[in-house]
Amino acid sequence: MLAVPLLTACNGPLSTLNPSGPVALEIARLWWAMLIGAGLITAMVMVMLILAIRRGPMLTEGNTSERRWIYGWGLGFSLSVLTVLLAFALWVGERMLARDDGAVTVQAQASQWTWRFVQPGPGGQPVMTEGVLYVPAGQPFDVAITSTDVIHSFWVPQLGGKMDAIPGHPNLHRLMADEPGVYEGQCAEFCGRGHPFMRFEVVAYDPAGPLPDFASITGPMVEPAFPEDVSGFEGTGQTEIPAQESSE
Amino acid sequence: MVWLLRALAGPVLWAALFSLVYALHGTGCGLGWTDRPVLFTDLHHIAMWVAWLAGLALHVVLVLTMPVGSGRARTVTAAGAWIGLVASVFTLFPVVVTSTCF
Amino acid sequence: MTDATTTLEQDDARAQPSVKAADIAANPPQRALRLHRELDEVWSDLPGWRGFFTSVNHGTIGLRFMATAFVFFAIGGVLAMLIRAQLATRNGVFLDNDLYSQIFTMHGSIMMFLFAIPLLEGLALWLLPKILGARDMAFPRLSALGYFCYLFGGTVIVLSLLFGAAPDGGWFMYVPLTDKTYSPGVNADVWLLGVTFVEISAMAAAVEITVTILRCRAANMPLTRMPLMGWYLLGTSVMMLVGFPPLILGSILLEVQRAFDWPFFDVGRGGSPMLWQHLFWLFGHPEVYIIFLPAAGALSTIIPVLSRTKILGYGALVAAVIGLVFLSFGLWVHHMFTVGIPHMALAFFSAASALVAVPTAVQIFAWIGTMWEGRVQFRLPMLYIMGFFATFVMGGLTGVMLAMVPFNWQAHDTHFVVAHLHYVLIGGFVFPMLAAVAYWMPLICGRWRVRGLGEAAFWLIFIGFHGTFFIMHLTGLVGMPRRVGVYPDNPEWEWLNLISSIFGMIQSAGFALFAFDVIMQWMFGRRSWRNPWQAPTLEWAMPLPAPSYNFASLPGPRQPDAGSILPLARGEGLLPGAPRGWRETVVVEPGTGRPQHVAVLASNTALPVATSAAIGSFFAMMLAGFYWVAPLGILATLIVAWKWGAIMGTDRDHPPADVAPGIRLPLHWQVRNTLAYTGAVALLVADATLFASLLFGVGFLAVVAPNWPAPESGIATWPMLAVSLGALAAMALGTVASRLAEQRRADPSLRVWTRLGLISTGAGLVLLGVIGVWLDDPTRHARDALRGATLGFAVVHGVIALMLALRADLDARTGRISAERRGAVPVWQLFQLFWLGTSAVSLALILVQEVL
Repeated sequence: MLAVPLLTACNGPLSTLNPSGPVALEIARLWWAMLIGAGLITAMVMVMLILAIRRGPMLTEGNTSERRWIYGWGLGFSLSVLTVLLAFALWVGERMLARDDGAVTVQAQASQWTWRFVQPGPGGQPVMTEGVLYVPAGQPFDVAITSTDVIHSFWVPQLGGKMDAIPGHPNLHRLMADEPGVYEGQCAEFCGRGHPFMRFEVVAYDPAGPLPDFASITGPMVEPAFPEDVSGFEGTGQTEIPAQESSE
Repeated sequence: MVWLLRALAGPVLWAALFSLVYALHGTGCGLGWTDRPVLFTDLHHIAMWVAWLAGLALHVVLVLTMPVGSGRARTVTAAGAWIGLVASVFTLFPVVVTSTCF
Repeated sequence: MTDATTTLEQDDARAQPSVKAADIAANPPQRALRLHRELDEVWSDLPGWRGFFTSVNHGTIGLRFMATAFVFFAIGGVLAMLIRAQLATRNGVFLDNDLYSQIFTMHGSIMMFLFAIPLLEGLALWLLPKILGARDMAFPRLSALGYFCYLFGGTVIVLSLLFGAAPDGGWFMYVPLTDKTYSPGVNADVWLLGVTFVEISAMAAAVEITVTILRCRAANMPLTRMPLMGWYLLGTSVMMLVGFPPLILGSILLEVQRAFDWPFFDVGRGGSPMLWQHLFWLFGHPEVYIIFLPAAGALSTIIPVLSRTKILGYGALVAAVIGLVFLSFGLWVHHMFTVGIPHMALAFFSAASALVAVPTAVQIFAWIGTMWEGRVQFRLPMLYIMGFFATFVMGGLTGVMLAMVPFNWQAHDTHFVVAHLHYVLIGGFVFPMLAAVAYWMPLICGRWRVRGLGEAAFWLIFIGFHGTFFIMHLTGLVGMPRRVGVYPDNPEWEWLNLISSIFGMIQSAGFALFAFDVIMQWMFGRRSWRNPWQAPTLEWAMPLPAPSYNFASLPGPRQPDAGSILPLARGEGLLPGAPRGWRETVVVEPGTGRPQHVAVLASNTALPVATSAAIGSFFAMMLAGFYWVAPLGILATLIVAWKWGAIMGTDRDHPPADVAPGIRLPLHWQVRNTLAYTGAVALLVADATLFASLLFGVGFLAVVAPNWPAPESGIATWPMLAVSLGALAAMALGTVASRLAEQRRADPSLRVWTRLGLISTGAGLVLLGVIGVWLDDPTRHARDALRGATLGFAVVHGVIALMLALRADLDARTGRISAERRGAVPVWQLFQLFWLGTSAVSLALILVQEVL
């Protein structure tokens, strides 16, 4: 009876458990692994507790018992589990970072309570849109995130983690969508009255096919977060989106 | 009272070392130390590695010298020194594994 | 490591007889009733409403703190129910967005600052003297001052809700949302000023708890034999001393930015919103462990008693406390994993956040091991302890998950975090505190509980809690962010929220039943017999309910535990009765517990309430925006503070007090290392942390903030340098004078030195004033604002040093200083030295900034 709503929720448009890109997938895997581990540890501690309550007083020799509980379980067990987990998580995190490797860079500029984006459009020319970000599917892209007023946070749960938009501190965020499609995004940092409505969409298009019709807007262009990165938009040749790049 | 200070020596050294390496990391990224090659690596890494290893050496000295007294006082002084050492190894080992300024 | 430490443990068993403290002979027994009357006369509160304003007794103040905290808990709980009602459906029209922001901000702020912290302070104030074997806390008037600051500040914060002016920027108050541009109303000021006013009580409690544990224990109780609660609360109070100053500094800076446009956090002028986040979480994470440690102390006290055995691994638990105290200061960045910090820095904090689970695990397994060794009695406190285990273990595990950087990037600021923090705080604080209330209620009210109600309340709370929050992990994972009041486009979140809302109401019913149970016990419970749990600790070595003076005679080595109730009541312990008609308690050496002197403590007085009213008038005028009248509030505070000193000294030498056969100890006026001196050292530790946070701000903005370097300074270098060095010289002269004043205290030249000290301190302040006039406009750039703040720090300490110099000078002239009596001079020295040291560091820093 509960299975249907459960599945609907897990496969929802903002669900982290419905990954559609390598970053989100890795994190979802990390989550499931941690969930299993945490479940086992909780069960183990509860069993210990029940046994401790059930059995009568049987004073073991003082030092043996302290060695077992404090050094065995308290230090030995917890330290080994944590070491393995931490090493795994750092390894996962390390592979998600935005690096200088020539990935497509798009701009996201947050304001109370809307998102403006600049992305390469037809012919590599930068195009500004509001509320919708267009990126090629199947290849990594970096979002250069800025804010014009208060702190916001850029989050597309199906593609990966969030990154804050902080005035004066531009951030670079690496994401990728495996397949063409529409992915929902939202502001994740409380930013005032309009916070619940500060949504946006990421449209991942097939780079091999024709470009979608960008619903571009006019007005003052978003200031580049990283002036050196934006140069990619202006040239003609180098910004052409590689047609057949396999996802790595 | 003095034995309590001995118990705190290890954790205090951890706090100082942790702050120092974190500050070196921030300063190095801010001043572009990653672009200055030193030996087989760069100035940024070398600075953090030297600080870390020197700190660990000091920790070993504390583990050898800090425990005093008997009974609980000795347990606590020994534990304090070990807490410092383990904390410095565990919390700062990322200086040898993760990327620096990304 | 294991082998080495195990040998130590074996040593422990052998070494114990030799550790046995030196004996102290017993006093001759007296009639217990006569002693009781004599003491009660001296220690009890004034009757009626006058008692409310004048009591300084730790029993009264501690209970009042706890009762007030539970009232605020109820208010915060009602707000939580409003939140749940709003979220039950996706288009909740119950609250509009503005009101919703106020309500979730207030829920968090009330639960943190007006419930959790005051409750643990109240527990510590009420319990510590009893469990350590003293008659009162080290600074009774400070307890009362803290209480009134808490009551007044808390009331203002809550009342702001009624006027629709409650804080609405989130309990974390991130700038720029909370600066004047985006929060023009008074809402943010209510938070900044109200919380800072309330934090006076936290700082007062921190100083007081530290000093009490170190110096107000039973005679010859070494630290290594202290009840574990003492260690836990010592850890808590030291963390409060170091943890709160960053928040207080941040709040002051943000309020100054809002009121006077000094751009500490404004990126356009060299500030950075990141500085606020660092200062806030530098407080905010240790805060979690500040809340957890006292609760863990209660568990370490109650579990062995109800398992009819001794705690397993005393030394390991002390080490775990030390580990938690330190490690918890290396975690704060895990609240900032998504702000764009490089991976290596995240990794440091991720590792530290994982490592902090180890001392926690040590405690959990030590408690389970204790129960394993003993025979568990399933009485009401044990039921709450089971609730703790079932909840906190899961909260700790989700905490480890959140410490993992990639997972945090997804889960941060979602309802997963909301679920986690409630598992940790309700599991790790509320359940143990409910166990503590159930456990200590007989000592509080002298009555036994009414059967059945407590169990029913527990099950309602337990089922309600897990029903509300377990499923909330999923709500977060499927994408629901925090702090949204409506979610019209996400029907898939609705049933999850509805379930949480329904169980939330059940949980509330449980808490209401718990309150009802406590009231029933207080009013209708049958009289409890002595030491109902057969506990060993000293708080049960007294009649029920606890008398105003705790112990008719103070425990020593011959009265080590709760079994000594009769000898203590008959006056066989130390310092029996109140022969001089004063409130007296024995002060010991911190490490060994050797008795050193007898402290005469303050009696009933209205000074604390007057002082908090004076401080409150300053905050009220700041809140109302009457900035140029606000200094009158400071003046009023200084005048009342002056009166505190007036009753500290004495103008004649007193004979030593008979403490036990063969032991005569001086009264505190005739010793140097008094409670006040230790308290001043503790306060300066906190003060130094505040200063260090300010220096961190200077370094952080210079390295990280945009729009640096700052514009060219308009200061004339050489005259400024000359005046600065002149000010330092005046401070140094004052320091020397304060030292000489103590050395020559028996000499007529004393008055020369105190007067010289007074004059040079005044001169130092005047020169600081000159520097202030010459400074660049602080609204121009963050660098100039920080220099203004640094100068403000020096001026504040100059004023304190001046007050102390004035005190010393007056004491010298009225014969209150003599060969035996040092008056306020040692404390004056401390502040002079601190003023000189911090000012020298500030000047050096500014010079470095100018040269580079």
